[in-house]
Amino acid sequence: MKYNWRLLLACGLVLGVAGCESPPPPHVVTMTGDPVTDGEAMLAITPEKDKLLTQCETAAIAMDRGRFPEAKQLLDSAIARIGGIYGRDKTAQQARSYFHAESKKTFIGEPYERVMAYYYRGILYWMDGEPDNARACFRSGEIMDSAADEQDYGSDYVLLDYLDALATAKLGGDPKDTVKRAAEHAKGHPLPPLDPKANVLIFIEFGVGPVKYADGRYREQLRFAPGSSPVHSATLHVEAFSEDIAGYDDLFFQATTRGGRAMDYVLEGKAHFKEGTAIGGEAAIITGAILAENRHTEVAGLAVLGAGILTELVSAATKAAADTRRWDNLPRYLSFAPLKMQPGQHVMTVEFKDRAGFAIPILTKTITFTVPNTADKVLFVSDKSASPLTL
Amino acid sequence: MKMYSSPNSLIRPLDSSHSDRITRAFRATAALLGTAAMVSLFSGCATSGVQNPNGVPVTQMNPDERGFVAGTGVESQDMVSVTDKMARSILGNPQIAHAPNAPYIVLQPVENETRFPINKEIFLTKIRIALNTKAQGKVRFLDRSEMASLENERNMKRAGQITSSSDPGLQEFKGADYFLTGTLQGMTTRTSAGTSDYILYNFRLLNARTSEIVWEDAAEIKKQGLEDAAYR
Repeated sequence: MKYNWRLLLACGLVLGVAGCESPPPPHVVTMTGDPVTDGEAMLAITPEKDKLLTQCETAAIAMDRGRFPEAKQLLDSAIARIGGIYGRDKTAQQARSYFHAESKKTFIGEPYERVMAYYYRGILYWMDGEPDNARACFRSGEIMDSAADEQDYGSDYVLLDYLDALATAKLGGDPKDTVKRAAEHAKGHPLPPLDPKANVLIFIEFGVGPVKYADGRYREQLRFAPGSSPVHSATLHVEAFSEDIAGYDDLFFQATTRGGRAMDYVLEGKAHFKEGTAIGGEAAIITGAILAENRHTEVAGLAVLGAGILTELVSAATKAAADTRRWDNLPRYLSFAPLKMQPGQHVMTVEFKDRAGFAIPILTKTITFTVPNTADKVLFVSDKSASPLTL
Repeated sequence: MKMYSSPNSLIRPLDSSHSDRITRAFRATAALLGTAAMVSLFSGCATSGVQNPNGVPVTQMNPDERGFVAGTGVESQDMVSVTDKMARSILGNPQIAHAPNAPYIVLQPVENETRFPINKEIFLTKIRIALNTKAQGKVRFLDRSEMASLENERNMKRAGQITSSSDPGLQEFKGADYFLTGTLQGMTTRTSAGTSDYILYNFRLLNARTSEIVWEDAAEIKKQGLEDAAYR
């Protein structure tokens, strides 16, 4: 058959280079410079699969700035999504297929990220005078951390159990079992005594949360590195009272002690497939080229060569990389200090300290707050918090 | 015909048949590449990355229906079935059904002991509405949520700051005969096989004078689900 092979090759190259239709021009969001407002605006143009990530990151910024109503709204949406991922999910199915990356799936985060969405929402419920709903969030957080490979590392957040116990004690229940479990997990850091009369509840966090990265020949292994931060501890000053604040929970520890994910086996399978097709394709191309040199085996050689090229294309199209999207403004350490204080206005200072124990002045936070007559006063402070704040 | 590139070239001369074979092999490879590019054009790009390009229309559902968006927590269909059951059960209680005078009931907050944060008041509101609309005056409810405003109004009437259609000196705020309250308790199991949530919805009516529980009923719902392996 006669055909113009130059034209065919040119067509192939043009099509290959031109590829698909250009994506539509991106929507434009006018940035205001306010990260909470901008984060909320970004939600309108964030792909559905990444919405929860934007919600969580914006919620964390809102928490740091004392903009709790906005954080509440964002976290409610995030939690509804985290709690509703059951059964068939098209994006998850795609993420498991050879030719789609894991990052195609709807982001709901690794367990430590899901836990933090519930933890923050729990704090906000307590701020609103709903300790039972706060406790519900802390319990859901522990459930998110359950079913680890090693039982010792499942549901082992110290603060979630301690706060569950404190809420239970305040509601007149029996917190003994829960506080015992918290104390067992609080290795080396004695917990504050469980006092239902403590009326100022201070949630403190510092450091930088785990950083995800992909390892392995095809980046198929999800790994965690500790976030880099100069802050290693904190000291709380409220009028004449001072207390060194220990990190009861370490998110890097939590991220790295759960064991393997079901998805890791899927990615391993993808990596084997990618490697196998790459080796097979290469061998077929070489074999085909050698066979094509010989007049008697030319046709077979060309067929093998073509099959090799196609196999190489399949290998190149296989996406084995692990999903490294992460909630990037999480802290590393979570802490808590319950105090008993007289109703009225008070001023609190939190110093964040480096590894050597020296305060980093630029990170010192000053918070003015008013303790009500009957309800609890809940305060949230991080090394990223705005300062001074009046809560 | 012999081909030479230069006298000192390392390229050896090719005979015409060899040269033809290479040309044919090159053409065939080009054809394959062209075909592969066209196949990828038609198969790969058309719909990638767009879910429900035309959107999904809003679907109106009855609150007692299980929707296509579901978790293992407390949902509207649970609330409807639980509160309907409780309202019917309260009306079936002889102390309520055969009381000579309609008893006054005050709603007390429900305690949530589950792992699901919920708007707890919605349960009592729904029970109150069901009883008010279906009980034909067999029970009456007192609203204590507005006490501050009511007391302020009464005090202004007593002080003569505003008019009053009756003697403002009389104590007309009514006392409760019963308190209606409840507890939501839960139990969760989560393993690699999935998540299972059991919730016990318990409601009771307390005699305000004696603290006696005059009525109690419960409903229980268990749900379980399993996430896609990509999330496990």
